[in-house]
Formats: sequence, structure tokens, C-alpha cells
Amino acid sequence: MIGGTFRFDGTRRDFFAQFGLGLGGAALMHLLNADAASASPEKANPFKGILDRPHHPPKAKRIIYLFMAGGPSQLDLFDHKPKLNELNGQDLPESVRMGQRVTGMTAHQATLPMAGSIFKFAKNGKSEATVSELMPWTAKAVDDLCFVKSVHTEHINHDPAITFFQTGHQLAGRPSMGSWLSYGLGSANENLPAFVVLISKDRIDQPLYARLWGNGFLPSTHQGVQFRSGGAPVLYLDNPPGISGEGRKLALDRLAELQQLQADDIGDPEVSNRIAQYEMAFRMQTSVPDVIDVSREPKETIELYGEDARKPGTFAANCLLARRLAERDVRFIQLYHPGWDHHGGLPGGIRRQCLDVDRACYGLLTDLKRRGMLDDTLVVWGGEFGRTNYSQGKLTATDYGRDHHPRCFTVWLAGGGIKSGMTHGATDEFGYNVARDPVSVHDLQATILHLLGIDHEKLTYKHQGRYYRLTDVHGEVVKAVLK
Amino acid sequence: MTRAVRTLFLLLIVSPTARAAEPAPVDFARDVVPILSDYCYQCHGPDPKARKAKLRFDDKASPFDRGVIVPGKPTQSELIARVTSTDPESVMPPPGLKRALSAQQVDTLKRWVEQGAKWGTHWAFSPVRAPVVPEIRTPKFEIRNPIDAFVADRLIREGLVQSPPADKERLLRRVTFDLTGLPPTPAEVDAFLADLSPAAYEKVVDQLLASPRYGERMAGEWLDVARFADTHGYQMDRTRPVWPYRDWVITAFNRNLPVNEFVTWQLAGDLLPNPTKEQRLATAFNRLHMQNEEGGIVEEEFRVAYVIDRVTTFGTAFLGLTFECSRCHDHKYDPVTMKDFYSLFAFFQNIDESGQTSYFTAATPVPALLLTSADQDRKIADLRAAVAARQAAPAKSREMARDEFAKWRTKRPAKLDVAGLVAAYSFDELKGGTVANAADPKTPGTAVEGPKLVPGKMGQAAELSGENGFVFPNVGHFTRDDPFTLSLWLKAPVHTPRAVVVHHSMAPVDAGSRGYELLLENGKVAVGLHHMWPGNSLKVVTKAAIPVNAWTHVTATYDGSSTAAGVTVYVDGRPAEVEVVRDKLTKDITYGGEPNLAIGHRFRDNGFKGGAVDEFKVHNRALTAAEVAEAAGLPLTDDALFDYFAAVVHEPTRTAAEKLRTARRALTVFVDPIPEIMVMDELPAPKPAFVLKRGAYDAHGESVSADTPKAMPPFPKDAPRNRLGLAMWLTDPEHPLLARVTVNRAWQLMFGRGLVETADNFGTQGARPTHQELLDWLAREFIRSGWNHKQLLKTIALSATYRQSSKASPELLARDPQNDLLARGPVKRLTAEMLRDGALAAGGLLVEKIGGPSVKPYQPAGLWEEIAMGRPRYDQGKGDDLYRRSFYTFWKRTVPPPAMTTFDAADKSVCTVKRQSTSTPLQALVLLNDVQFVEAARFVGQRMLKEGGKTTEEQVGWAFRLVTGRKPTEKERTVLVKLFAEQKALFEKDPAAAKKLLAVGEKAADTVLPPADLAAAAVLANVLFSHDEAVTRR
Repeated sequence: MIGGTFRFDGTRRDFFAQFGLGLGGAALMHLLNADAASASPEKANPFKGILDRPHHPPKAKRIIYLFMAGGPSQLDLFDHKPKLNELNGQDLPESVRMGQRVTGMTAHQATLPMAGSIFKFAKNGKSEATVSELMPWTAKAVDDLCFVKSVHTEHINHDPAITFFQTGHQLAGRPSMGSWLSYGLGSANENLPAFVVLISKDRIDQPLYARLWGNGFLPSTHQGVQFRSGGAPVLYLDNPPGISGEGRKLALDRLAELQQLQADDIGDPEVSNRIAQYEMAFRMQTSVPDVIDVSREPKETIELYGEDARKPGTFAANCLLARRLAERDVRFIQLYHPGWDHHGGLPGGIRRQCLDVDRACYGLLTDLKRRGMLDDTLVVWGGEFGRTNYSQGKLTATDYGRDHHPRCFTVWLAGGGIKSGMTHGATDEFGYNVARDPVSVHDLQATILHLLGIDHEKLTYKHQGRYYRLTDVHGEVVKAVLK
Repeated sequence: MTRAVRTLFLLLIVSPTARAAEPAPVDFARDVVPILSDYCYQCHGPDPKARKAKLRFDDKASPFDRGVIVPGKPTQSELIARVTSTDPESVMPPPGLKRALSAQQVDTLKRWVEQGAKWGTHWAFSPVRAPVVPEIRTPKFEIRNPIDAFVADRLIREGLVQSPPADKERLLRRVTFDLTGLPPTPAEVDAFLADLSPAAYEKVVDQLLASPRYGERMAGEWLDVARFADTHGYQMDRTRPVWPYRDWVITAFNRNLPVNEFVTWQLAGDLLPNPTKEQRLATAFNRLHMQNEEGGIVEEEFRVAYVIDRVTTFGTAFLGLTFECSRCHDHKYDPVTMKDFYSLFAFFQNIDESGQTSYFTAATPVPALLLTSADQDRKIADLRAAVAARQAAPAKSREMARDEFAKWRTKRPAKLDVAGLVAAYSFDELKGGTVANAADPKTPGTAVEGPKLVPGKMGQAAELSGENGFVFPNVGHFTRDDPFTLSLWLKAPVHTPRAVVVHHSMAPVDAGSRGYELLLENGKVAVGLHHMWPGNSLKVVTKAAIPVNAWTHVTATYDGSSTAAGVTVYVDGRPAEVEVVRDKLTKDITYGGEPNLAIGHRFRDNGFKGGAVDEFKVHNRALTAAEVAEAAGLPLTDDALFDYFAAVVHEPTRTAAEKLRTARRALTVFVDPIPEIMVMDELPAPKPAFVLKRGAYDAHGESVSADTPKAMPPFPKDAPRNRLGLAMWLTDPEHPLLARVTVNRAWQLMFGRGLVETADNFGTQGARPTHQELLDWLAREFIRSGWNHKQLLKTIALSATYRQSSKASPELLARDPQNDLLARGPVKRLTAEMLRDGALAAGGLLVEKIGGPSVKPYQPAGLWEEIAMGRPRYDQGKGDDLYRRSFYTFWKRTVPPPAMTTFDAADKSVCTVKRQSTSTPLQALVLLNDVQFVEAARFVGQRMLKEGGKTTEEQVGWAFRLVTGRKPTEKERTVLVKLFAEQKALFEKDPAAAKKLLAVGEKAADTVLPPADLAAAAVLANVLFSHDEAVTRR
């Protein structure tokens, strides 16, 4: 076979520039890579995307990102501030706030009364990490976690903040993190998309946006594919009523014959590419239902995640599904659990949210660990910003609310090359400012890419005359949290 | 190894690179600038802040004067020494940049210096030339117009030949899709095949250009550029009815509005002399960016974001330049400085808008244009005339009141009788959380968050914290046509920028301040009535501040005229001089469900912190000066008394005033429900503009004024410094960019890619034109034709180049995979819209109706509910709405129609001039399983059985031709017959399955034909929709 010994050494961009395959060609290249991987003896490296190989040896092969949309209160979960209980009700001193802008929701409040958490905190595990009573299961897993308590963002409103977190820019139009990874590393499974999105149902308070898993200016091949809990798990996956699997198979066989005749006549490789896309679509019709079918998961596994895991669309069920997707080497598994926007009635609201996620997170970590997958799976937990140390609205002995707070909040990381049982960064005694080791959103993004073997400065895409990257012109890998 | 891979490998082995074919002389603009731009400009380019060693390669003097480049002497040129160095300390670009030059690029630089280092300007900024059309003498090329001559000239030099003309079926399908977005009908194909006259093709092109479908197709392209969508895009992502703009675009293309006017209207229609409604409507173009309504955002931050979007859209759409970089720093590659950027910004910000849309009301973001029909315009004119007629009446009857006044004056009561008191709260006693209303026991006031009563001006007064106060339910629900008066004693402990004293509204920014309000702004009394602040508001502020910490009496009267002149503010009984802040109230100040009148506090606003209020009264008429003066114990003048007499006592004047109120009300009631659309409406004086440091909305730097980038042609001397002047600058026939950018997009529309492949970037980082002379010739011709878009497309369509067969030999495919050289016809995957519309047309389902509100065809259930805020329901349309052209499909920005985005429809959040064209498994799933396509397949199948002939052979061939535009080969027909037979057998075995399939979609299937036949035909059509010839136009 004449092509057998060919190896293309340039980057994919060079490839396209030189041979001008266009975007259809991009998909073709993708196939080429998949085939080349299975045909070549260097089968060990499953990473095939625009990058011929990762920039450096990766620590993680995949990510499960547990996005807590709305902004969970770090002060009631992980970042314990007894000082706030001492000063409960007193106006936040200007010396602490230092002119930091506040949202229009509390900008007009006559006072900003500091609010200590009403929840009890305890030190847990060997690492003695502080976790509040709201997260008893997470507390058991602290020795596997790395808490970063000094994350900060530039945005104080949901839409720009969450868009910034997921795409590196506050305005719409940029590719999301998962799209960048799909673009850079490709898919390691030819029967499933590289980037899958799972959303907890019935928890929307602030909206989510399709652009959060959108491909922006990257080819749409890289957009996140939402797996849904009602109806077809992937849009349009199911055959129409009345068309059986057998009937469809036969029809597709005839289609392939017709396409082959066309290809023979036209000689355009695009036709062959399309044949291959139909083959993958057909395979997905089997592989997707297979991955979402948890009926053969042992009872004891379900119990690990909690009873909720039996109800499709819950966070627990999505965590279990995330593990199954991870097993099949889906590159980026993005979960969204909305409902954390507690401007008022925080104690009640956060209790409910923690019941949704606490045990399931523990279950996921434990399940990954016992399967030996935590070593090469990076798990990230966190929201788009934190919440204020003062109360929005009335502060009472049992109730308060917290506004958005961009200056410091907590994110935890686990597995895939992350140092476990540690805390990085710290906030001041008021829980208002970062006191040590600030970590920006771009830093976090750079670190995540680093763990997957990508130099965030090198994974770029030229669009409208400029090289874009996930981290814009910022971001430094947080070395302290790396193993 | 799959076939695809095998083909590709073949291609890799045999293909020499395009570069190897380049002629030896190095062209500065073509070969060198891209290298300098890509690898050097970042540190040695136009941005002085990023510039290292004071060296810049975007300016000839810098490297030449310092000997960095020595013409003819590469060995003495530092440039060459650096790019060839192996020392990491001195090699350029530095390793830290992580982008090294290729050996070939180094060689290009060397050869360029060797050949004398000729310098020049970037091609796109140089004037459009009028190139000489090459003479092609060889008969091997068919030259139908100059396009072909330019293309042939290059092909001859490359040693290539033109491809033969496409077969008629494919050509017709190609041109019909390109110009109308729809496939030709079988009858049209037959007619074209039968017409053997030489003019047959031109006739078809003329028909297509004259078809109303042409306007829809062109508008579809333009709406990507205009980032047109049906929702605001942020948070709740509410609906914005901007479809009238879309319909205007269709009309503009259909009547072939010259492109220079098309551009001018959109940029500056409001500034044209006596602008028509249409010209003002066109300016909605500048407002179609996303708009935020999220509570708590900083309003200014988003106002700035909107203006920036206008500037960058202007840059991409009309100049083919990316301005985004210059927002935060001088452009690293193109000669656009930060100052240039904010000088353009100064053109686009002079409208009375808010950075936050109203959350609590459905107000159209201001400024807005009332979208009236001609009938409504007539009716409004009548209603206005009625108001005008009655406006004079009270004054006339007043004059007649003089005599009676003299009589009344002699026996007038010692104290004036003050009518119309609807509420009077003394705040003397707080009982069960309420304060009594002396005027009406049924409407007491309610304390909110524990205000305290303290000794006041008279008895007790209310002391306020800024977070507390009173609400007065069922009091003061006035419309903009109702005269009313607010009065109270107040005491302010300190002057603050803003303190809400009295208001009848839900919120400031979050409700666009709808309602009315009385505030203290640095101690000055501000009174406003608002439909939507600031563009639809009236507001006055007293020139003097009230004293600090002293009881002051304030009265505000309003006469129901919707004008600032109708508001009078009295301080301690005397009318105060005011400054008019806004005077443009044209819609009502009510909500439908009215909020409570309130004192002391407001949602997300600064309350009257530390203030005190006493004796709060509300009248349902505008008190006269005499009444106000008397209450303050001031002497009354004769004039004041007469005013009082006329307004209160004199029956005819009162009646006339009441009639005026009724006439105004009739106007408001008629106008209020009429929808509006966001437009540009230039403020009388420009807003101050600044360079925003780092692009941050609040970091004002150097002050700037409206101007165009320095590196481009100068701003015309006599042009006004506003958007109209900007449009004149842009549409000047000598402007190097607009015509080039426009003809390039037209080329892209017809060929799938532009002569400049980066249609969105003509800057130094963009692609070079493959045929610059052709591009310039087209641009010149285009301007000469009077910016005639239809003629431009016709010229392209009639060229032999466009009409070539798209079939490529393996050699040609390997030699020129992207078809840069145009030695064959263009191939394109159909767009999302064409695929769906083509299927609908084939099934006979397409409903062709131009314009109107966007529609909601089939969409998988639950998509909006799952992720959008407020769980909005997607109310799927019925009947015709399911079968309109895709261009009318409702586009919700946060949850766009998934079948469309799967086929690379533009994002619609930002200006897009070039779509992706991908091939993915998800696309296969859409074509195979989406209800829309399955239903259309059912009807193709049904038509095939009814209209396709007698035998299965005929029928399958007919369907194939219907969907793909060509007849099947015998081999293909055999496969189709087999397919049909197999499926039919399956459905005959399982009649229930056939029934299920035939029930997909809303439209009922034929009941006479055998279900198994119908179902099998549906599956056949379903397969055909995925056929290469159906998905691609060749």
C-alpha cells in the first residue's frame, strides 16, 4: 500500500495550509488520525487532534468538570471565617472592601452587614481540611482533594462570569474549554463525541447557555454534545417511529452504495468523508444508549452515589454517567448543577443544593479511585464566582443572603496529576480578599490544559487575523498544585 | 484502510505544494508582509507599547535607517542574521514566542533582501486599481466576460486549462441555489433542458434575480453579518421583535437598492435629510448586538460593550478589518491604533440608550422607532390633530373668563378652595404599621422595614434609613395624560448624589424607571416621568439645591402634557428654576399591574438615608401657583389668582381642559400597544469620548472626538462629524475597502470562498487575494455600475469561470485542492437553511410567504425549558409556520435551533461574514431523524408514487431527480429499486411500523395509497436527502 509509510510531521494547521483541505478536510484528517492510530504500532498514544502529540507528557487523559452554576458560597462550605461570626451584623469596613465594585443588587444597600456562617465547620482527614457540616461526604474525601481557596475572577454577574470561566472571555463568541480540548487532542473514542455535557434537571435558577459548550470560531465538530435525560439522549439520535434498526441498516447500506457510485464518478474525497460520518452516526446509535444504560451497574455502585443516581437527570445520575463516559475515554465531561445563586434564604437553599451534590461527588471520586481511574482523570468542582461576606438583604439569626463575590472563592481539584490532601492559597480573616497565592480563572484554565499535556500558550487558532487561545494573553500554570 | 484515507494518501504523495509553483521574484506585499506581520509585528509593529528595541517593521524608515535591512545585502542585514541565528539569545522570533519561522520563510526573506528589499503598502489599503483586462488569444479558453480573462491569464501561467462547462442540470441547480437559496423544480429543469437557445442561461439568471426569493437569499447572508437574532442574548434572553428590520433587508435586496445606499441607511439613516421611516428602520443594524437585562450589572459597562460591538461590526462588515485588538492596545498587525478605535467609538455612542434593558417591563430598548402601518400613521395624525385643536381651547376660554374673574375676585373665599386631594399623610401616628390618609380612610399608608416617627414640621414626621419608608397602595396610579401634584415637607441631613424621596415605579434601571419619581440629586429636586429611561423620558432638575438639615416644602405639579414644560417644581411655595434633562416622553408610564406609590426607598436604589418627611399630599390635578403659594403663606398676585380662577372655578375652561385630557388619552391608548424597534437616533450633542485604558469601561484616558483611522483616507472635509459623515467617507468611490470587501463577499456567495479567502480580514494577517486584479476589476465595475448588486452577481453568474464543471481530475485536485486557481467550478456543501428548505420544497411543503414575525417549526421538546431561565416554553408553530423558509425560524441566542447549528449556521451573537462548512456524524443524525426531514421525506415519497410515473423504475428515478436535480445513472437506479423493494417488504411484514412512520409530522399522509408503498418511498426519500448530490451543490 503506497500510503503505508507516510508520516506527516508538521502541525495540522500546516497540513491544511499546504494541502488546503478546508474544514471538511479537518474531519477527514480526524479519521485519518483514528485510522493511523489503529494501524500504527504506536497505538499507546490515543491523543489525536490538531496536535500531533501533546506538548508534554499528560498527567490526565480526561476531565470531569462539576460546574456549580450560580456561585456556591465558599464561606458556608469550605472557607471558614470565625471572624465573621464575631463581627456578625457589623458593617463591612471600607478598609477591607477597598472600593471593590459591588453589583447593582447591593450597591444601593444602606449597610453591608457582615454575616458569619451559621453552619458548623470541622477539620477532616489527615490533611485537616475544613469543611462545613453541609458536606459530610465530601469531608470524607478531603485527602484526595486539593482545595484552591484563592480563585478570583473579573466578573460580578452570572452571564459574563460563567462565559469567562468556560471560554476565557466574558463576551459570547469564543470556543469553550471542552471545544479547545477536542480541537487540540481529538477524540479517543471513535464511537462517542470528545466533549459531552450533562445538566442537572429542574435546578435552573440562573440560565445556562448553549454557547458555554459551543465551538465559537472552531469547526463545529468540536462543539459539546449534550446528553439529555428525557427523550433521545442525544438530539436526533433515535430512528423515527416506524423505522426499525434492521430497516435503517439496510437503508444505510444502500445509501453507502449510492455514495460510492457518486465518489467513483466525482472523485471528491469529501464524499468518502461523508460515508465515514454516516458510519460513525450509526455506531453512535448503539454506543450512546449503551453508555447511558446503567441498569447493569451493581446496586452497591448505585449506593455509592446515593439513591438519586437511579433518577435520570439528577446530579448523582449524571456523576455515574460521567464515570461511564470517562471509562470510554470521552475527553471532556462537563456537568452543570445550577441553583447556587443564593441572594436570599441562603441557609435553606444551600442545604438543598448540598443534598444534591455532596454524596454524588464522594461517590464519583470513590468509584474512580477504586477503578484506578482517578490517577488519569481530573475532577474539578466549582462555580463562576463566590459569595459576599456580608448579607444581601436582612440578616437574622437564622437567615441571610449573599451577593456575588469575585475577589475570592474556592474550587477543588482532584486526580489526574493534582497533589491530593492539600490547600492552596488563602483569604484574609474577613473572607473578602485573597491573602496568599491568588489564582485567576486563566491560571486555572492554564493548569487544566497543562495536566492534559497542553501548553496553553501553544494551543492557538487563527481567526480574523489573530491567534486566539483559551487563556487570551494571560494565565500561568499553578505549579504548586501539581504532583 | 478506508477509501477516504487511501484517497488522501494518494493526494499527499503526488501533490507538489502550491508554493513551489510561485514565480521566483519576491513580492513584498504578497510574500514578505505576511511573514513580518505574523512573526515580527507583535513586538516590532504598530503598537508602541509592545514595541521592543524601538524597531518596527510596519514602517520602512525604522529597519532601513538602522541597517537592520540593507537592500541587496542579506549578509549585512541584521534581520537575516537574526532569523538565521542558532543562538537562543539572539535568534528571532525569540523562542519564547513559540512560533518559529520555517526554512522556506527564512529563504523568502533572504531572497527579498537580495532582490533589493522593495517596500510597499499593504495591498488592501492601496487604492483600487482599474486593471487592464488581459487579452487571451488561445481558443482553448472560453472567455465570456473579463472575469474569465483574468482567470485564464493566471491559468495559462500556471500551465492549467479551464474545465468544460457543467452539465445543464447541475449548472441550473448551482445557480438557482446560489441566487435564491432553493432548488429548481423539475419543471424548471425540463424547461431549461428544452431551451437550446444561446440566451437560455442568461434568461434563467435574470429570472432568478427578479424572483422575490433572491431578496430572501441575500438577506439570509446579510443577517449573519448584522448578527440578527430574535432574542436579546443575555440571561432571560427575552424576545426582541426586530423582524421588521429583516423584512426591510429583503425588500432592499429585491428592489436592488444600490449598496452604497444600503450601507448608508443602515449606518446613518436617521441622519439623512428628512429621513423616511424606512431609513430610520435600517439603522436597527447598529442595535442588533446582544443586550443585557441581568439585575445588578453595571449599566455603563454594558453600554460600552454595545458601542464596542457596533464599532467592531462596522470594521468587519464594511472594512473587512478586525478592530477588536485595538480596544485594549494599538493593533499589533494593522495600522489601527487605540486612539483610532475610540475615535470610531465616538461616532457610535451618541444615542440615548441604557446598558441594561428593562427586566420588569417589556419596553423596547431606547431609542426606538414606532412601527406603525400607514393606516396607523393616519390615525395617529388624526389623534394628534385632535389634541392640537383642544390644546388651544383652554387658553381661549380662559380669555373669556376675564369678566367673570373680576366678579369672582370681589367675593372670593378667604382661603382658596383646593380641589382634588386624594391623599394626605401627616405621619402623626403609626398604628398597626399604618399611617392614616386624611383624604381617604380606605387608603392608609403601610410602613416598610420600621421607619420611626419623630417630632416633625407639624406634629410627628417619618424618619428614614434609606432602606425603609412607606408604601401607599391604591394611591396615585396616574397615566402620562393625568395631571397630578405631589407635595411634602422634607429634611435632608446631607446632600448625596442620589436619594429617592417619592416614587411610583418598580425599580430604576431594572424597570427603566417606568413611572414617576421625585428625587434629590445633590440636594436638587429632580422630577421625572418615564416610559423607559433615558430615551423615552421627561425629567427636570432644579438649578438650586435645597438647604441641608432644614425643613423645606417641595411641590411638584404635572399638567398631563407629556412635556418637561408641563412640570413645575415649587420650593417653599415659589416656582423653582429648572434645567430640562430629558423631554421625550412618547409612551405611557404605567405597567399594566401598577406598583405602589412609595416614600423613602426603592428596589436597587439609594433611599432617602437619614432624611425625614412630613405632610405628604397627592392631588389628582396640577395645583396652580396660587394654591401652592397660599399653602406656604405667601401673598397671591392677581395673575396667580386669575390662573387659579380659570383652572378651578371657570367651568368652560375646566371642561376644555378635561376634553384635552381625553384627547391625549385617546392618543396614548392608541399608540401604546404599537410595537417599537431599536434604532439609532442621534443626540443633539455628542457624548464625551475617551480612550478607555486596557479597554476597561471606567478607565478614561485621553479625550477623543469622532474620526476615522489615520492610516486610511482622510475624513471628507465637508462631511458632518457623525455617522452620516462616516458613511460618506466609507462609500466614497476612492475608498480602498468597501467595494473590495463587498465584491469579495459576493464572490464568496457564488464560489463558496472569496478571492480573499479571509472575507472577514483584509488586514495584513488576512489571506492575499488569489486574483487581485480580478478583485479590483470587479470592485471598479461595481462602483461604476452604481453599486449594483444584482448586476455584480449576474456578471459572476454569466462568466465561463462560474459555469465550469466542478469535477476535478485527481491531478487537478492534488495540484489545487482549494480551487484557488479556478480551473474548475465551485463545490459547496449546502447551508443549514438550503438543506431544510430544499427538503421542504421537494416535498411540496414549502410555504412561501415573505416576511412577518419569526416562526417556530419543529424542535426537539424541552430544549428551552432545560437550560433557559424562567423555563420558557417553545410553543411550536402550527400549519404554515412549520413549513416556512428556515430564514424565518425563530433564533433564540442562548438556545439556538439545534438542527441549524449542527449545519454550521452562524452564531448570531457577533458579526459573521464566513460560515464554517463541516461534515459531522451529528449532521447525519439530523438528516435521517429530524421530524422536519422525515416528514418532508414522506411527502417526497408520496409525490413520487403519485407523480413519478407508473413503474417503480420511473418513480425512484423521478424522486432522485427531484431531490438531487439530476437523473440517476442506471447503476444508481438499480440501487434505488432495490432499496424500495427491501423497505416495502419490511413494511408489508409490519404494517404497524408503516403507520407509525406515516404519522411523523403534522401533515396527514395520503389515505388511498398502500401504506407499505408510502412508507418505503419515504425511507427512499430519507436516504436521498443524505445523498452527496442533495447535500452538496456541485
